[in-house]
Amino acid sequence: MSSPPAPVTFAAQIALLSLISFGGIPSVLPDIHNLVVVTKGWATDREFADFYAIAQAMPGLPMILMMSLIGWKVGGLAGALASAVATCGPSSAVAFVAFRLGDRFRDASWQRIVRRGLVPVTVGIVIASGYVLARAADNGWQAAAITGAAAGLILGTRISPLWILIAAGAIGGLGLL
Amino acid sequence: MSQMANKMNFREDVTLGALFLEFAKIGLCGVGSMLAWVHRVIVDRRHWMSEAEFVETLSLSQFLPGPEIANISIYVGSKFRGPTGAITALLGLTAAPLVVGLVLGTLYLRYPHPAVIQKVLGGISAAAAGLLIATGIKMLMPHRRRAAALFFAALAFAGIIFAKLPLLTVLVGLVPLSIAVAGVMSLRAE
Repeated sequence: MSSPPAPVTFAAQIALLSLISFGGIPSVLPDIHNLVVVTKGWATDREFADFYAIAQAMPGLPMILMMSLIGWKVGGLAGALASAVATCGPSSAVAFVAFRLGDRFRDASWQRIVRRGLVPVTVGIVIASGYVLARAADNGWQAAAITGAAAGLILGTRISPLWILIAAGAIGGLGLL
Repeated sequence: MSQMANKMNFREDVTLGALFLEFAKIGLCGVGSMLAWVHRVIVDRRHWMSEAEFVETLSLSQFLPGPEIANISIYVGSKFRGPTGAITALLGLTAAPLVVGLVLGTLYLRYPHPAVIQKVLGGISAAAAGLLIATGIKMLMPHRRRAAALFFAALAFAGIIFAKLPLLTVLVGLVPLSIAVAGVMSLRAE
């Protein structure tokens, strides 16, 4: 029995992982690394790490870009597109159905209580993610000052976040960090 | 299907084009984290969701597979324009940044790049972290008078930062407790 072409195998695997990627694709990254680097040898460890770093630095959903870069390596442009669809297609279909079902019971009193319980935990996680991101980017007090200033400007002024990002990039580029 | 259609919430200004463009904007601006941008565009500017609805949708998204932001785009798109809207919003969010990312990513891998790029990215990610923290604080504001809410937000933060627990462990460990407390509080309030 001949095995299917590599891009098909890869896209099919990510589509499956997409369905169980609770908490986002990073939760199934170890499985993907295992498939791509260890089992199939489609990319080296170094390439895998490079793809990850690029995906984090670019706009958009990092994991879709990362899977597309791997897909590109495995099967060119078609591989990249198939991987992008496989990364978010199945999970999006699940989300669509879940939101529709949730909407049907929106006014039930038990749902109000569930929401009141869920929200604080979510908020704690969001602030923690910002903290983790700050620590990952940290180069000392200068970077921490930028993080603090950015948060303060967003909360205290109506300045567009885009200007804040551009200014911070310029400060970094001038070697002040 | 007709029941679903009734739940839809058509609004003149939420055309398929507007959905696509606003989510494309979010996708293209969202370096580091998109959550701050989704909040700004969808809640603060377009008023497509209330603050409460936003946090609730995000909460639910954490229990669903897939990227949270993609799931939020599905929610917003389907709320106003049904399945077509959901696909349009998701495409807006993903297509444009994917093209940019694939082109720049391939160039970055193929050619040597000056060290200054790394420094610029360092500055941007420090500020992106600030945007994310500010978004979390904004989301907490409506609940600032509920001691239980502040308590569980602090506990979730501590679980991830100090105890270094995986996200799923924090969710599974805290959410049932937090819901139970919310249930008891609402019974006592009645």
